[in-house]
Amino acid sequence: MVLSRLKGAGPAVARQGLLIAFIVFMIGFGLVSERFLSLDNIASVLRQSTIIGVMALGVTIVVIGGNLDLSVGSMLSFSTVLVVDLHDKVGPEIGIPMMFAATLTLGAINGFLVGVMRLNSLIVTLGMLSAIQGLILIYSGGQNVDISNQSGTWFRVFGRESFMNIAVPIWIFLSLALILHLIMSYTPFGRRVFAVGGNPTASVFSGIKRSRVVFTTYMISAFCVGVAALILGSRVMGSQNTVGQGYELLVLAAVILGGTSLLGGAGNILKTVIGVLMLGFIQNGLLLMGQPYYTQWLVTWIVIILAVWLDVAAKRGKLFSPIA
Amino acid sequence: MTKPRIGTLTATAALMAGLAAPAAADTVRIGITQNDVGVDSYQTTYEQAFIDAAEERDDVETIVLDAGGDVALQINQMQDLIQQQVDAIIVWPTDGTALVPAVRNAHRQDIPVIVTNSNIAEEGMEFIAAFSGPDNIQQGASAAELMCEGLDGEGEIVQITGQPGYTTAIERQRGFEDELAEICPGIEIIATQPGDWNRERAQSVMEDFLTQYDHIDGVYAGDDNMGVGALNAAKDAGRAEGMVFVGATNFAVGYDAMAEGEYYGSIYQSPVDDARAALQTALDVLAGEDVPKLNYFETPKIDQSNMDEFDRPVF
Repeated sequence: MVLSRLKGAGPAVARQGLLIAFIVFMIGFGLVSERFLSLDNIASVLRQSTIIGVMALGVTIVVIGGNLDLSVGSMLSFSTVLVVDLHDKVGPEIGIPMMFAATLTLGAINGFLVGVMRLNSLIVTLGMLSAIQGLILIYSGGQNVDISNQSGTWFRVFGRESFMNIAVPIWIFLSLALILHLIMSYTPFGRRVFAVGGNPTASVFSGIKRSRVVFTTYMISAFCVGVAALILGSRVMGSQNTVGQGYELLVLAAVILGGTSLLGGAGNILKTVIGVLMLGFIQNGLLLMGQPYYTQWLVTWIVIILAVWLDVAAKRGKLFSPIA
Repeated sequence: MTKPRIGTLTATAALMAGLAAPAAADTVRIGITQNDVGVDSYQTTYEQAFIDAAEERDDVETIVLDAGGDVALQINQMQDLIQQQVDAIIVWPTDGTALVPAVRNAHRQDIPVIVTNSNIAEEGMEFIAAFSGPDNIQQGASAAELMCEGLDGEGEIVQITGQPGYTTAIERQRGFEDELAEICPGIEIIATQPGDWNRERAQSVMEDFLTQYDHIDGVYAGDDNMGVGALNAAKDAGRAEGMVFVGATNFAVGYDAMAEGEYYGSIYQSPVDDARAALQTALDVLAGEDVPKLNYFETPKIDQSNMDEFDRPVF
C-alpha cells in the first residue's frame, strides 16, 4: 500500500510541478509587465486561445486513445473556408450543418483508416493534412473567401459577441472542455478510450470494440475542429485557404503541455486547458515585454521540451534515467 | 515489298521533321516555377493571368509549375526545366537565398532566368537575366507617405509585418521605416510584430498591442489582409475611431473598408500586371533586347480620395 502510494506520488508531483511552473511564470510576467495580469489582457488571451483550445480538446481524446491527429490544421482551414463561403451562398442556417457534415466526413475517413483498417495514425493523418489542403484548393480555387455583410449577420455571435461580459468563444471552449472532461472521466466510453490507448491488446481481450472506440475519437476531434472553424470564421469574417496551417503542431504542443502522454492511455482534458492557456500566455507575455517573435518561438520550444521531459520523468519515477 | 515500305516511312519521317522544324524555330518555350499558388488569392490570380497572357500569343509555349512553398521542390523543378531545355525560366523564389545555386546552374547552361515578384538574394543577381516585379522598398516608402498624411506628421503607430524571412516583408518594412524617419520624424513606431500574412494572426497581434498601449494613432500592415485583421481587432475594442490604417497590396476587403471610411489607404498592386510584366520581360530577354536588371511595374498609392480611379481588386 505505502509503496504503491509512494510510486504514485512521483508522477503526481511532476504533474503538479507543471502547474506550479505555470503559476510562477504568470507571477513573473505579472511583475515585469503591469498589463499582463489585467482583466482585459487575461480576457484577450483566453479569447485568442479558444481556437487552438477547442481543437486541443478533441486531439487530447485521440492521443489518449493511443493515436495522433495531425490533420486538424488543414481540416480547420477546410471547415473555415467552407462555413464562410456557404454563409453568403446558402446562409448560416444551412451552411453550418453542411460544414459540420463535411468535417465529420473527414473525421470518419481518419477514423476508418486508423480504427478499422489499423493503419498507422501518424502516416494517415499526415497524408490527410496535405490531401485536405488540396481539397480546399479544388473547392475555392485558391481565392480568399469573405462574408460580405459583416455587421448584419447573426454569425457574429460565435467569435465576436459576449455573454455576461465574457466572450462567447470562451463560453464555448470552457463548456466543451467540461462536457468532454465529464465524458472521459465518468462514462464507459471514456474508460474504453483510456483502455484502448493504454493497452490495446488487453482491451480487445476484455471485449472492447477497439475499432469503434478509435473511430469515435476521430469523430470527436473532427467535431471540435468544426466548432473551432465557427469561432475562427466568425472572428475573422473571412478565411484564407491556409488559415490553419501549422496549427496542428500548436495543438499537439498544448496537449503535451497538459501532460497527456503521446504513448496513449493517460491524459486529462482539464490539464489540456491549462496547456492551452500556458501556450497563449507565453506568447502574449513575451509580446507585452516587447520581445521579438523569435524569442517567442524559442521560449515556446523550451517550455514544450521541459514539459515532455517532466512527463517522461514522471513515468520513470526519476528526472534522469541512465537506462533507456 | 519491303523496300517501298521503308521508303514511305522515311518520307513520312522527313515530312514530319519538315513540318515540326519551322514551328520549333518560331515558338519559344518558357518554364515557370511559382512560389505557392493557392496560398493566397494574389498568387492564384497571378497564375491564371500568366496562362491567359501566354495563350494570347501563338509563339509562346509554357510549362507552368508550382513549388507549393517548398524550396527543395522548387530546386528540383528548376533542374527539370533545365533538363527539358526550355528557352527561358521564370522563377518566383520560395527562398531568395537557397535558390541561388539552382539559378547559377541554369545560367551555366545558357538558359536565361527571369525572377518574378520577389527578388533573389544579392549574390544571385549576376546569374539572372532580369527581375520583374513590384518595388517593395518603394511600396514601403509610399505607405510611409500615406501614414504621414493621415496623421499630419504626428503620432504613435504600430507595425505588423509579413512572414519573417520573406523578402517582400523585409523590404516593405525597411522602405517604410527609412522613409518615415526621413519625412515624418514626428511619428514613432512603438512596436513591430509579424502577422505572417495571416489575418487571424494579425488580429491577435493587434489585440495584444491594444492591451499593451493605451494610445495608438495608426497601424501599418505589410498587406491589407493583415491590415483588415488589425482593423477588426480595433473595432472590437471600440478603438478604431480616428485610428489610421495603412496597408499594402490592396485586397478587396481593404478596398471595401476604404469605401466605408474605416481604412486610410494602401498600395495598389495588380497580380495581372505582375504576371504580364514577367512574361513580357522574358520575351524581351529572348528577343535579345537590352533589358535592365530590375524591371518594376507600377504600384500606385490608393486612398479614400482617389479609389474611384481603381477597380475593386479581384482577390
